[in-house]
Amino acid sequence: MRRFIIERLALFIGALAGISVVIFAALRILPGDVATVMAGLNSPPDKVARIRAQMGLDRPLVLQYGDWMGGLLRGDFGKSLLTGRSVTSTVAMRASITFPLIVMGLVVALAVGLSLGVAATLATRPAARSCFHFFGIVGGSIPALWGGLLLILLFSRGTGLIGLFPSQGFPQRGWHDTGAALLSLVLPALTVGIIDGASLMRYTRSALADLLSSGYLDQAMACGYTRRQAVLRVGLRLAMPQLVSVVGLMFAGMVTGVMVIENLFALPGIGYGLVTDLGNRDLIAVQSELFMLAAFFLAMGFVVDVLHRLLDPRLKSSLEGGR
Amino acid sequence: MAADNGGKKVAAPALAPLARKAAVVLRSIWARGEGRFALVVLALWLAVSLISLVWTPQSLWSTDGYHVWQGPTAAHWLGTDGTGSDVLSWLMAGARTNLLIAVLAVALAGVLGMALTAAMVSRSATVSGVSAVLVDALISIPTVLIALILAVPMGASVAVIVIACGIGYGLNLARIARPQALLAANSGYVDSALANGASWFSVLVRHIMPNTMPTMTVQLSLSAGTAVLAESGLTYLGVGVPSGVPSWGHSLATSVKFIDVYPLTVLWPGLIVTVVVVALNVFGDVLRDAVDPVANPALREVA
Repeated sequence: MRRFIIERLALFIGALAGISVVIFAALRILPGDVATVMAGLNSPPDKVARIRAQMGLDRPLVLQYGDWMGGLLRGDFGKSLLTGRSVTSTVAMRASITFPLIVMGLVVALAVGLSLGVAATLATRPAARSCFHFFGIVGGSIPALWGGLLLILLFSRGTGLIGLFPSQGFPQRGWHDTGAALLSLVLPALTVGIIDGASLMRYTRSALADLLSSGYLDQAMACGYTRRQAVLRVGLRLAMPQLVSVVGLMFAGMVTGVMVIENLFALPGIGYGLVTDLGNRDLIAVQSELFMLAAFFLAMGFVVDVLHRLLDPRLKSSLEGGR
Repeated sequence: MAADNGGKKVAAPALAPLARKAAVVLRSIWARGEGRFALVVLALWLAVSLISLVWTPQSLWSTDGYHVWQGPTAAHWLGTDGTGSDVLSWLMAGARTNLLIAVLAVALAGVLGMALTAAMVSRSATVSGVSAVLVDALISIPTVLIALILAVPMGASVAVIVIACGIGYGLNLARIARPQALLAANSGYVDSALANGASWFSVLVRHIMPNTMPTMTVQLSLSAGTAVLAESGLTYLGVGVPSGVPSWGHSLATSVKFIDVYPLTVLWPGLIVTVVVVALNVFGDVLRDAVDPVANPALREVA
């Protein structure tokens, strides 16, 4: 197990270094750089050159990369070229909206996905089975943007049929206005939660269906469990390693998955901010934000892999012999 | 006539069974209600894309300042947008952009997925190790993030969507096809083919890759659906299809502005995307059973 963790950690660090080079390179072949944007359109080339020199954009690429990496290692992600604020504090502020949103979304997804997945496995009436099947396929095929629009049409204050929740923006005072802040996240969280819940339901159902034909559950039923008890007590426990992987990656995926939703509901979260910075050609900010996101996803992949091994004793013992 | 037959015989042994198999698979799909729905929707998609190349109800570029944000009328069946352009015409023209994106993304994913799978079962420990590590490391980077990194130098373009989806789905494909490819690579028939002097490449093409084909085709069909969804999201974020090019994502993004004016028009673009993605997902599901010789007895009779 220790060897697996060390190998996987080395892979994580290697991938992180590789990604940093890719991101750095992608940003240097940018056609219009931030100096041109700051100097204004049609400004004389010497003014652009002066701004570029001020920001260190005229130095050799290797030095620029070294500076950036050195900063990252010290935990310094640089300053936005446009606003002068440190990228870390900006991202932290945005994360205070995105993370509560995806946690709420994940709660909805788990509630919808696990319960419907189990219900679909236990359902015996053909009509009920096709209903679950229909939801599983259609729910996962809805574009997030459209799902959000439908919820706005149904439940938003102002435009909706039943005006229950606000649909635009986050309260000015942020989390100090806790009630309003939570309310403004309800519709966005429902949108992601229902869409991801549909795919979680499909995973749950297929994992349980595999187990039903595997003999483990027959054994449990032979020992006196009913079908329902066997699925709930034995099936879910056996399906857990697989489901933890799916949920972990789903949680990670939501950070970018909610970008569209954040834009639609005008929530200044991580995705919304990244798209804005990209539009402003804010080189340093975009570079560090992309890197943070990549690091986050790679770290989640690492954690999910290790958890998967820990939860599934079969993999742990088979691993002792090496790969 | 006889000479004709003689000329065809060269290609016939290789292609005829494949064509016959494809026909059986299509017939098995058509035989199921769900499969029929998927085939009809996909055929309509193709037909509308082709028709839109030569005809749309209104010109895409005819704007009408006096009739903006309109509900359905005789001239504009689905209403008009903020510049007075015809919503239906843009949706029809969008079909071809989305078809192009889905086809290209799936093709790129297929090529990348097969190349990585081939590398992962390679006899060279370095090649197989490095490719496996590469796939493991990159699999957790979501397609959207790849697209955003690409969009920095490339700007909004169809290529960003195609490359991002191609890389993302290709990695996924390789991960899913790997166990089957490994199973085949370690099988007795591969050993015996190698012992008989076959080259590794020919073994790869004739024995290993065919074993991964059922999984690959199903997965690619599902990827096509995801590509359509990705197009709508990325275009809305401004890193997908550039403005002025018709696409469903463009129509969907425009429809957001309808919401206070004519709510019902919001329904159309999203509904079309949903129906097409459902069709692609259902197609993938039905295909899984249709290409599986165990589940589909008709297929066994051909081979």
